[in-house]
Amino acid sequence: VAKYSWPEKPALLGTPIKRLDGPDKVTGRARYSYDINRPGMIYGKVVRSPYPHARVVSVDLAAAQKAPGVKAAMVYREPGTQVMYQGDPVAAVAADTEERARDAARLVRVRYEPLPHLANVEQAMAADAPPVFPNGNVRAGARDETGDLAAGFANAAHTVDETYSTHVITHVCLETHGCVCEWDGEKLTAWISTQAVIQSAQQFAQALGIPQSNVHCITQYMGGGFGSKFGPDAQGIICAKLAKQANAPVKLMLDRKEEHLDTGNRPSATAHIRAGVSSDGTLTAFEADSWGTGGAGAPSGFPLPYIYNFPNRKRVHKDVYINAGLQRAMRAPGHPQGCFLTEILMDELADHVKMDPVAFRLRNLPPAGPNAMWAQYFRDGAKRFGWDKRHATGDPTPGPIKTGIGVSAHRWGGAGRGSHAHVDILSDGTAVVKCGTQDIGTGTRTIVAIVAAETFGLPVSGVKVEIGDSTLPFSGGSGGSTTAASVTPAIRVACIDALDALFAKVAPTLGVPPADLVADGGRIHVKGNASKGVSWKDACKLIGTEPIAVDGQWQDGLSGAGTSGVQFAEASVDIETGIVRVTRILAMQDCGLIVDKLTAESQAYGGVIAAINFALFEDRILDRVTGQMVNPNMEWYLLAGMSDVPNIDIVLNNMPERGVIGIGEPPTVSTASAIANAVRNATGATIRSLPLHPHKVLAAIEQVRAGGTN
Amino acid sequence: LKAFAYVNPASEKEAVAALKTDGTAMLIGGGQDLLARMKDYIDSPERVVNVKGLDATIAATPDGGMRIGSAVKIIDLFEHAQVAKLYPAVNAAAIEIGTPQIRNQATVGGNINQRPRCWYYRNEEFVCYKKGGSRCFAVNGENQYHAIFGNEGPSHIVHPSSLAVPLVAYGAKFRLVSSAGEREVAAADYFTRPTLQNVLKENVLEDEEILTHVILPPPGNVKTGHYEVRYKASHDWPLAFTTVVLAMNGSTIQSARVVLGAVAPIPWRSKPAEEALTGKPLNEMTAAAAGEAAVTEAAPMSGNAYKVQIAKTAVKRAVMNAAGIKTV
Repeated sequence: VAKYSWPEKPALLGTPIKRLDGPDKVTGRARYSYDINRPGMIYGKVVRSPYPHARVVSVDLAAAQKAPGVKAAMVYREPGTQVMYQGDPVAAVAADTEERARDAARLVRVRYEPLPHLANVEQAMAADAPPVFPNGNVRAGARDETGDLAAGFANAAHTVDETYSTHVITHVCLETHGCVCEWDGEKLTAWISTQAVIQSAQQFAQALGIPQSNVHCITQYMGGGFGSKFGPDAQGIICAKLAKQANAPVKLMLDRKEEHLDTGNRPSATAHIRAGVSSDGTLTAFEADSWGTGGAGAPSGFPLPYIYNFPNRKRVHKDVYINAGLQRAMRAPGHPQGCFLTEILMDELADHVKMDPVAFRLRNLPPAGPNAMWAQYFRDGAKRFGWDKRHATGDPTPGPIKTGIGVSAHRWGGAGRGSHAHVDILSDGTAVVKCGTQDIGTGTRTIVAIVAAETFGLPVSGVKVEIGDSTLPFSGGSGGSTTAASVTPAIRVACIDALDALFAKVAPTLGVPPADLVADGGRIHVKGNASKGVSWKDACKLIGTEPIAVDGQWQDGLSGAGTSGVQFAEASVDIETGIVRVTRILAMQDCGLIVDKLTAESQAYGGVIAAINFALFEDRILDRVTGQMVNPNMEWYLLAGMSDVPNIDIVLNNMPERGVIGIGEPPTVSTASAIANAVRNATGATIRSLPLHPHKVLAAIEQVRAGGTN
Repeated sequence: LKAFAYVNPASEKEAVAALKTDGTAMLIGGGQDLLARMKDYIDSPERVVNVKGLDATIAATPDGGMRIGSAVKIIDLFEHAQVAKLYPAVNAAAIEIGTPQIRNQATVGGNINQRPRCWYYRNEEFVCYKKGGSRCFAVNGENQYHAIFGNEGPSHIVHPSSLAVPLVAYGAKFRLVSSAGEREVAAADYFTRPTLQNVLKENVLEDEEILTHVILPPPGNVKTGHYEVRYKASHDWPLAFTTVVLAMNGSTIQSARVVLGAVAPIPWRSKPAEEALTGKPLNEMTAAAAGEAAVTEAAPMSGNAYKVQIAKTAVKRAVMNAAGIKTV
C-alpha cells in the first residue's frame, strides 16, 4: 500500500455528514461579504451604460461630487472609448449611505454618442448587419472532421435534418458579486464574494499596481458563483479605488439588475444538424453547422456531438458577437448545450428505427470504462425509474394532461491539481487544517474536516478548519469541479505526515515502532490491539511546546478524473395550455470516492434544480429593437420555486478505487435534455429549442395536430 | 430613492387632505408596488400617504352583500369564511396572488390599483406612453406577456390585478372618496381602456381620490367558476385567468358574466362568451363553446398568439369549474 492512499475501511468517508456551517447559515450567523460592515464604511455604486453600443463623449462628475454624503467619485471609462453592452461600467461614486450612493450615481453626467448595435444573433448574422466588431461580427470557431461523411450518409437508412438551439441564461447568484475593501496604508483587505480567494488577491494586486503580498482576500461564506466569480472584476477594482480615494472602507455589492447585465452568462447554442442512422440502429454520420453568442466579444464553444459514437462526422462552429454582457464559465461550460442538441436528435433517430431510446443509446455508446459508466446507469436507472412502463412517443391517455419520460447522459472531468495544505497539531490536542481554498456552497469546509478527521481517527468536530483566506497555503480557484479532487489529497498528505510525527512521539512510550501505530476512535494505539494505546489528547501532551507543523501538497494517486451520469425525467404537459410540469427526476452519478454523501448529493440536487430552470424558466431577454434587457430582475427572469421542484432521486455510485473526483458540474448537464425528451414522449411533438415555454409547446403540438412532421 | 415626506392619516378625511400638494403624493398600502417603483426610479413622489390605517374590516351589508375595506390584507380576505362562501372566485383569486409574504403584506386596495407589470414600464430605460413617452415598446419588441384583447389603444399592457377580475364578474362597486365627497363606481366602469388622453393611468381614480371600499352585491342564485393558467407553480404572474358567474334557472344558464384577466389592459369582459353561455345547459360542451366564443375577439400581437389558446382554455375550464366538472 502506498504511503499516501485512502483508507480501505473508512470511518467517515462516504457516510452522510451534515454540513459543518449549516446551522450558521440557516440561523444567519454566517457572515457573507454582503454582511460585512466595517467602522466608517461607505457604499459604492457603479454608473453603467444604458446603451448597448455607444461612444463615451464626456463624463462629468461635478454634480455627483456635490451630492449629499458623497465621499469619492471616479471615471472608469475614458471619453473617446466605446461601451459595448448595456451595463458596461463607465464611472462610480461612493457615499455614506447606499441610497445616497445610488442617487449620486444618477447625477454623473455621461454624454454618449449611440452607435449601431446588434441585439441578437439574427441581427449579427444578417447580410446587411452593421460592422459593430472590428474583425467581424461572426468569427470562425472550432472545426472537427473524422471519418468519411459521404460514406456515413450513404450507409444511413434514415436521416434527420433539423435545427436545435439553447438560449442565454445568467448565473443568478443569490449573493450578488461584490466586496468590501479597506486600506491600511498600502495594504488592502477585501472581503469578497469569490470562487478564487488567492487568485482574487493576485488580480487586485495586478490591477492596482501593488505587491500581491499587500492584498488580503477573505471569503468565509459565499452565496453562489457557478463559474462567474473568479476575480474582483470591474466592480472590485472600482471598490478598492473608491476606498483609497475616500480613505474609508467601501462596500460595493451589485444589485440584481447589474448582476444580470454584467457578471456573465451561459452562451447560446444553435446547430443545424444532419444525422444518419442505419436500419439496425447504428449511428453512421453527423454533420453540423453550429453557432452561438457569448456576447460582446466572447466565444461560445460547446462539444458536439455529445457522448454518442458517430463514426463519420464533421462540425463547423462560428462565434457570433452581439452587444450584450460577456459570457463566463457557467456550471459545466458548453456541456448542457451540446447535450441538449445531441440528445433530442437521439430520440428522433431512435423513433426512425423504432427502437427504445435506452436500447438505442446502449447500441451507440463509446467503449465503457471507469469514467464511462453510462451502460450500467442506463440499465440500472431504467429499472429504478420504471422505464418499462414507457409508452411510445405520444401519450395515448385521453384528456389534456399527457405524461412522458425521457433520458439523457452526460460526462465531466473534475480532476485535481496542485493544492497545498498545512496542519498543526498542538499539545492540547487541537488539530488545525489550513488551506487557501474556499467553500462556495459546495461543502468544501466540511470535506476538509472529514478528510482530516478520518486520518486522525477523530470525530469531525475534533478538527478545526481554516479556509477562505488568501494568506493560507496555495489552492486553486473553485472551478471545473476541481476543488474536492485538488484539496482533499493535499489535506490527506499533510495529515498523514503530521500523524507520523505524532506516532514518533507516542511510539517510545508504548515500546513499539511508530509504523505499528494506528489512529482511530479518538485513540492512538498498536495495530490490532486497541487496548494498547493512549487517547488522542494524551498523545498530544507528548508534543511539548513546539507543535507538530506539517505542510503537504496534492499528489497523484488520491484523486481521479472523468465522471459520467445518466438522468431520467418524467414530465406532464397540459396540451391545452402548453404548460410543462416536471414530476420526477432520477440522477445516476459517480464522482470517484465519495467524501461526504450528504454534500455530494446536495450538489446533485442543486444541479438538477438549476437545470430545471434552464429547461423551463430562465431566459435573458433583450429587447430586439433597443438591445436592452427587459427582465433584469427575478420577477420576469423566472426561477423555480418550491412548487416547481419535483421529486428528485439521487443515486451516487461510490468508486473509491478512483480517488476523489468533483461533482459540482456534471449533475446539471443532462437534466434539461431528459425533460425535453419526456415532453416529446408525452406529446408526440418535438421541441428543438429551450426553454420549453408554452408558446413553443403549443406551436409544436399544433404542428403535429395539423399533420405536419413533428 | 428620492427623499419623501411620510404622512400617516388617522381618517379618510385626513388621508384625502394629505393628497393635496403642489408636488406628487402617492398612496401606500402594503407597499408591494409603490416601493418597488420608487426603488427602480419609475416614480419618485414627494409625499407618501399611508392608507393602511383606513378601514381594514370585512362586513356584511344589510342587503346580503359584503363590504371590504381597502386596507384589508390579501391573506385576511382569503381567510374570510363568508367571502369564500358567497364569492368563491374572490377567494380563489386571493390565494393566487404573489407569495405568502406578499399576501401577508399587500392590501385589497393596492391590488386593485397597482400599476402595470409590463417589463417596459418597469425598467426606466424605456420611456413609454405610461411614463410620458411617445410609444409602446411592446409593439415592435418583446410582447409575449402583453395583451391579446383591447389592443386598439396606444398601450398594450395587461391589467395586473387578480382581484379586479372576480370583482367585475360579481358586479362589485368601488367607493371612492375625495375632498369633494364620495362616489360609487361600478368595478366594470372603473378600469379604463387606454387612449392617448388617459394612458398615464389605468382607471378613473382622480389624483386626490382614494378607493376606500369594495362593495359586493348579494350573489344571488349563481354558480361561480375561476381558473388561472400560469407558467410557474410558485410565484408567477398568470398567463390568463377567468372568472365566470352564471345565474342559473334549474340546469340552464339564464345569464352569464365572463371576465378574463392578464389578457387586456382592463379586466376583459367577454360578451361573445356570455352569449354562448346564455340559455344553454351547463356542461362541458357549453364550456368549450364559451372558450371558442371568448377568443373570437382576440387580436394578438407579434409574439403572443399562444395566449389565445391559453385564454380559450381558461374560459372553458372556468365554466367547467362552475359546473363541478373536473378540468384536467
